[in-house]
Amino acid sequence: MSGKEQHPDLEAQQATQEEPELDRGIVEAWAARMISNPDRAYKATFYLATIFFLVTTLFPFYWLFMVALTPRGDLSNVGVLTPGGAINPGAFVDIFTTLPFHRYMFNSFLIATVATVIVLFVASLAGYVFGRLRFRGRNALLLSVLVTSFFPPAAFFVPLNRLFNTNIGALRPLLSAGSLYNTPYAIFVPLSALYLPLSIFILMTFYSQIPEGLEDAARVEGTTRLGALFRVIVPLSAPGVATAGVLTFITVYNEYFFSSLMTDGRPENWAPMLEGVLRFQGEFEVLFNLMAAASIVAVLPVAILVIVAQEKIVSGLTAGAVKE
Amino acid sequence: MASVTLENVTKEYGEEVAVENMNLEIQDGEFVTFVGPSGCGKSTSMETIAGLTIPTEGSVYIGGEEVTNLPPKDRGISMVFQNIALFPHMDVYDNISFGLRLRKYDQAEIDERVEKAADVVQLGGMMDRMPEEMSGGQRQRVAIARAIVREPEVFLMDEPLANLDAELRVHMRTQLQRLHRELDTTIVYVTHDQAQAMTMSDRIVVVNDGQPMQVDPPLTCYNEPDNLFVASFIGSPAMNFAEGQATEDGFESRYIDIPFDLADYGIEPDQSLTMGIRPEDVYLERDTNLAEEPSRTYDAVVDVLEPMGDEVFAYLLMDEDVEASAEGRGEGQLLTSLDPDTVIAPGDDIEIVIDRSDVHLFDTDTEQAITHELRK
Repeated sequence: MSGKEQHPDLEAQQATQEEPELDRGIVEAWAARMISNPDRAYKATFYLATIFFLVTTLFPFYWLFMVALTPRGDLSNVGVLTPGGAINPGAFVDIFTTLPFHRYMFNSFLIATVATVIVLFVASLAGYVFGRLRFRGRNALLLSVLVTSFFPPAAFFVPLNRLFNTNIGALRPLLSAGSLYNTPYAIFVPLSALYLPLSIFILMTFYSQIPEGLEDAARVEGTTRLGALFRVIVPLSAPGVATAGVLTFITVYNEYFFSSLMTDGRPENWAPMLEGVLRFQGEFEVLFNLMAAASIVAVLPVAILVIVAQEKIVSGLTAGAVKE
Repeated sequence: MASVTLENVTKEYGEEVAVENMNLEIQDGEFVTFVGPSGCGKSTSMETIAGLTIPTEGSVYIGGEEVTNLPPKDRGISMVFQNIALFPHMDVYDNISFGLRLRKYDQAEIDERVEKAADVVQLGGMMDRMPEEMSGGQRQRVAIARAIVREPEVFLMDEPLANLDAELRVHMRTQLQRLHRELDTTIVYVTHDQAQAMTMSDRIVVVNDGQPMQVDPPLTCYNEPDNLFVASFIGSPAMNFAEGQATEDGFESRYIDIPFDLADYGIEPDQSLTMGIRPEDVYLERDTNLAEEPSRTYDAVVDVLEPMGDEVFAYLLMDEDVEASAEGRGEGQLLTSLDPDTVIAPGDDIEIVIDRSDVHLFDTDTEQAITHELRK
């Protein structure tokens, strides 16, 4: 900033500099400076808030990292900022050798991916119907879909658990036990259903904003309504689709309640990642360093996903508008 | 190329009737324009041809085949939309080739056709531009290229020039006529702008309240309107009207009376009549010789002048006591178009004659035309 283009507040500050010297304390002087130049106050508040949020979100990771680097025997010596004892990154290897932690992660990853694909597909169809078509009973139907997501997931657990533990003859050729217990289906079927309403709601808002002319144009050019949905409406709603997809993926990947109760906790029976983390807690000993290492490793896929989709998500969560 | 036929087409949205019992036959290769005020059902009519709307009743035929329930993609049509509707996430090439790619044409043929279509609308060298980087006129040309690239049987255009500025609109108007001559395809065009309808079409369909009021070549609609609606809608500025009734020896209204033999036109005495006369058929007394069949003279006072350059519109009051109505031309007001060199000023008392050979008479109750000239 130079010369005359200064902020009016700055100019005001310079203009009033010739005021008589007052005998002020440090705090008083600082407050006076802030008042005469609010820009400084805004900037200071901004940094303060940013640092606060960064510390509260990142410090647990840092500390987790320190715990993971601490050898088992020194766990009680972990400080606030320093690892206890000699740094030992061995925990990051041990988690895969002590337990097949990669299998737990794979289970969660696969279940989350399948659930996301199912949710996005079904929610796209539903979002199209609710967002773009007008028909009798639309609001009542939409409300009943949304109501599903108001119930605590636990409310569904008992009936679902009984259902999935029932031996169904028809499933016998497909599933060895004839029931859904200990299969990935038992996890992603209820989870997809639970997180569907939110995605329907997000996608509905986005799809309703795509001009009708574009859909008409696509249909005249040679697709069906469904074709127009996936060739034109979905690509143009990319921020919304990315938002719904990432939200679903993260929730399902981190889900514990259904995932742990619908399997017996063994990796080969599709136990999820969180189950794996808790497996480092034995009967006589809790391997905090391995749990910490496992937690950090488990976060990586989600972190990568978010970084990749970040741009879209930001515009999806904030603006939500499609031009034209 | 194909003909298009609408048979008893009715479209209702709930209680509202958008199109009512529309019957229409469009010839192969014809340029037909639907024109009418907004909300008259002209766009809905076009949507039923396109298949974007399924009619509540009636049938649609394209090329002699019934297509009433076929989806738009199987009707051999293409369409240009009012809001242009280019796919914003595709570049020009992808936009134009969208339909061909969906129909799984060879890459070589797609390239060739896209290039040809782009040439027709002069879009060469813009293939990798995104729609948002283009001007309104360029986008419109891409939309037209997208429509012609598939070589459709019928070409539908829904207010394609509405979003362009005035200069570009006139330019595109001539472009479209040239295009029609080159492609020789059936074109169905929808507009509320009668200038576009008059200048481009072989025939126009004047629509009001979901029904065609007249289907004729533009000049027929202008010179021989079938009813009051067409008479008042076609022509800018609009026709002058005077409401009156038949007497023993002709037409009589408060300010204008014209003697004629009722029997010649099958008019009963006391029948309610509305007379219509276009501004260019009203002459100053000194120009009487220009009228083919001049009437008697009428007194008038000049109210307002609108010099247009090539002509002057003069708003006349038939009596000094007539109050100029704020909503259009009221009773006792008359509009005439004069030669630009006419020396005349507001407040002048003048005498006018009207050309009997261009007087339109309508039955006020049925609104139907009775005659388009009054012989002595």
